[in-house]
Parts: sequence; C-alpha cells; structure tokens
Amino acid sequence: MSANRKSPIKTKANALQFKKSMVVLGSMVKRNIKNQYRRSVLGIFWTVLNPLLNMLVMWFVFDKIFGRTSSTLFYPVYILSGNIAFTFMRTATTMSLTCMVENYDLLTKTRVPYSVFPISKNLSAMVNLGFSVIALIILMLACIPQGVKFYWTMFMMPVPWLPALFMFSLGMSFALSAIYVRFRDIHHLYTVFLTLWMYATPIFYSLDTLQLGDTARKIMQLNPMYYFVEYLRELLLGVVPSAQMHLICYGIGFATLLLGYVIFRASRKKFILYI
Amino acid sequence: MIKKKSKKKQAVEAPIIFAKTIGDNIDNVDTMTTSVDRDSLFYRDENILIDVHNVEMKYRMPSEKIDNFKEYCIKLVKGQLHYKTFEALKGVDLQVRRGESLALVGRNGAGKSTLLRIIAGIIEPTSGYVRTRGNMVPLLKLGAGFDYNATGRENVFLNGAMLGFSHKEMQKKYDSIVEFAELENFMNVPLKNYSSGMMSRLGFAIAVDVNPDVLLIDEILSVGDALFQQKCAAKIDELRANGTTFIVVSHAMSQVLRLCQKAVYIKDGKIIQSGTAQEITKMYNEDCAKIAREQAALKAIQDALKD
Repeated sequence: MSANRKSPIKTKANALQFKKSMVVLGSMVKRNIKNQYRRSVLGIFWTVLNPLLNMLVMWFVFDKIFGRTSSTLFYPVYILSGNIAFTFMRTATTMSLTCMVENYDLLTKTRVPYSVFPISKNLSAMVNLGFSVIALIILMLACIPQGVKFYWTMFMMPVPWLPALFMFSLGMSFALSAIYVRFRDIHHLYTVFLTLWMYATPIFYSLDTLQLGDTARKIMQLNPMYYFVEYLRELLLGVVPSAQMHLICYGIGFATLLLGYVIFRASRKKFILYI
Repeated sequence: MIKKKSKKKQAVEAPIIFAKTIGDNIDNVDTMTTSVDRDSLFYRDENILIDVHNVEMKYRMPSEKIDNFKEYCIKLVKGQLHYKTFEALKGVDLQVRRGESLALVGRNGAGKSTLLRIIAGIIEPTSGYVRTRGNMVPLLKLGAGFDYNATGRENVFLNGAMLGFSHKEMQKKYDSIVEFAELENFMNVPLKNYSSGMMSRLGFAIAVDVNPDVLLIDEILSVGDALFQQKCAAKIDELRANGTTFIVVSHAMSQVLRLCQKAVYIKDGKIIQSGTAQEITKMYNEDCAKIAREQAALKAIQDALKD
C-alpha cells in the first residue's frame, strides 16, 4: 500500500537529484577546463598545440634518431592518432585518481553524489580529446601533399569509437579513485604503471614491425588500449572496423565500467572515514 | 526557489528524499509495525519536514590511521590490524515540523555534527533512516566547494550549482548576493586574494539567498564584523518570518534562544532531553557549570595532594 504511494514521489526526487547532479557536473567540467589554462598567454590554444608539439618530439626521436619505422599511416599521423587515444585515457584516469581526496570539502560538507567527481574528470579529458582531434585534422591537412587522405570513416570517431573508450576510462577512474581514498601510495604505482603501459601500446611502433613470436604477440594484444588505438587508426585509413573489433572494444568498455562502478559503490560508504 | 505565491502548491509537491531505509530489525515484528505507522504518518502529514528514526552511526576506526597499501600489507602480515568501533549516535529519534526550528545542544563530541550530516544526507547512518521533505540547504561550512583559483563571480555560480541552481537561475540572484556580501569591487578578483572575512561573507550571502525550506547550520553564524553580523541576523529573521525551518548546532546559547523554539540535548550520542529552547539551554548551562565546578574541585584536591 505504502509502496504505491512512495514510488511517484521517489521518482520525482530522483529526477530533481539528477538535474542537480547535471548542473554540478557541467560547472565542474567548465572549471576543470578553465583552471587548466588559466593565466597562460595562449589559453585554450595550448590544448591544440600540446598534442602537436608532443607528436613533433616523438616523431623527431623515433623517426630521425632511431630511424624510420614502417607504418600503415603517414608516420606523424600514426604517432598522433595513437597518442591522442592514450593521452585521453591517461589524463582522465590520473585526474580521477585523486579527485575524491581533492574534493574533501564537497564530500563532507555538501550533498553531491560521489560519482560526479570521476565523471567530471572524464568529461574534461574528453573535451581535451576534442581539441586534440582538431590538432590531428590540422596535421592531416598539412600533410595532404605527403599523400594523407581523408575518409568518411572519420565520422565514426564520435560514435561508435569514443563511447567504448570513454566507458573503459570511466571504469578505470571509478576503481582508481575509490582505491586511492584507502591507499594513497597507489599514486606512485600507477604513474610507473602508466609509463609501462604507454610503451606496451603501439603508439610510435606497430606490432607488425616488431617481428614478435606468436605468444609475445598474443601477450601484447592483451592490452585493452591496443584495440582502441588500432580501431582509431583503421578509421583514419578508411577501413570500417570488423564486427569482432566492435565486440572486443565494447566488451572491454562494458566490463571495465561495470567492475569499476561496483568497486566504487562498495567502498562509497567508507570514503568519509578515510579521507 | 520557492516563491511566496506558489508556496502552497510547492508544499504539496515537495519531493521526499530518501536518505536510507534499512530493515535491520525484520525479525522483530513490533518495530516493523511501528515503523510502518511512522511511514504513513510521514506521508500523510505534509508538515513533518524531517523524520529521523532510530538512527545509529558506528564508525570502525583503526587504532592507527593507515592510508597506504604498503603499511596495510605489513600490518596485515604482522596481524596488527585492529579496529575499534566508535558509536557516534546510539538510536536517535526525532521529528521536525514545518516552521519549528530546532537546536542541537551538547558538548564537543556528543554527536551533534554527525547527526546534522546524516540529516543533510551527506553520510548514511549505519542503521535507521532519515526522511526529509522540501528543499534543504546544508550550511556546514561557509564556502564549501569554493575554487580558490576562480574569481568571486565564477564561484557564485559554482556554489549555486552545488546547491542545485542552474546558471540562469543564479543570474537572477547574482546582484542581490553581491550586494549582500558587499563585494561589488571584488567579484573579478580570484578567491585566493580574498580575506577570510570576505570569503565567509560571500559564502553566507549565497546560502541565504537560496531561500530554502530547511536550513542546516553548524556554528557558522559568527561571520564578519559586527555590522555584517547584524545584517546576517536581520536576514535570518526574515527567512524565519518566511517560514524557513532551522536546525542549528551551536554553543552560543543566545543564538539558540534567538533562533529556535525547540531544542534537544545530546550527550554521548543519545538524546537525553528534548523540550523548549529555554528549558534545554538552562539544563545545558547548569550541566556545564556543574562539570566546571567538579573539575575545579578535582584540581583543588590534586593541588592539595601535591603540597
């Protein structure tokens, strides 16, 4: 009897809570972006310049110093595309790692749903990703004389490529931010792990040129980022990724998000005790 | 958010936010029935704004604070992970009706702030539940969530968002907030360059401009200089006249008497007495005086023994 009476009111309260969370989320993302480039001369242009400069360094080191490696795409485009996918995941997760502890005041003094914090960091990273894609397009335009071509498959970047990567990164963020509250030294471990992870992902080399044995190759392919990077490059080459590729990317995305959220929910009650 | 005209309608539609419902005592039929009665009472009576039912809060505290994995592993292997439970609240029961302001009185560490945070929905009780109705603004710390790198202006909108107001809604309130905080010349200055007084003035101005149904206050009313305090007091009187219900934690008994009709005396996580603000403040003052006398006597004895 009372259940019938409760439900509509509860839905309404949840809707209100949802609206509130959305407002907070929006303003937090805005704040993150603004703070990132506050008081720098070039402001938001840094977000475009940064990946380009990064790419130049990598291109110089790996192409000019170590000698050319063959790649499916024009080499600078190859580096930049791998880099923006990995950088998105790296920024989102490292920013999320400390987000619960950083927002101590908000957690203990106001009623904001906890999940807002990692989500806002991931959205901020996504905005940065958008700027990096602009950088990629600029680079590709500049390299048209070198034989770089644009394909319609590039429109598949916002959907379905990005949601899968976003879910993966958000799942990681949920888990990491929850663990960090309990164990602060995770920060150091994760930084080292990220370096290893970056070198294990074919960003400036490709698996084909490594001449690996079958087992070694299989091990390299256990890396989830490998698929997200390869997916993006297929789009740039004008190839529609196979159904299997979609299945793998979304499978990884869903599983990580689910697992991360379960960890986050389970440790939610303890946040306030350990912060 | 609630305009006077639509107040009646709003009151009927006021959302109920579920903080927690745990049926810990399912095998105990008696408590089941009473809690169902309470439920229906809460849903029938629109004037009950807050219903706190048998709330218990237990903290499991490690005897030493361990916040890194390395130490955790070492202690785990050595078998030195000890926890003790600390009961901050032991079965608190209270109801607050519309327009009936309540003060939580008690000594430091009695559990007042914990109770306030549970009512605000910031922490979940270990058992029991809290049901609330209407727009509740927790004011547990002025300027919680301020961003020190952002300007005053940006912070007004940010803080508004935390309280659930969109950019558009805050734009309407913006001028009156700035005017109330007397910070017209400083709104484009980053918050890190504010003095602490300026910061709390801004925080207070935002919080009171929201016009909530329930305002939860944790000892933050001594803000700014004497003149500003007068202004705050006037604003709070205005809010009270408009029907805002206050729940106040304060050690200043004069404030309790001014703001609240009712009070509860909390000691060691239990409500030991509830009644009118006059009764409770009197009781509290007497208790404090008694403890002070006892301590003085004890000290006198100790001094005498030393000599």
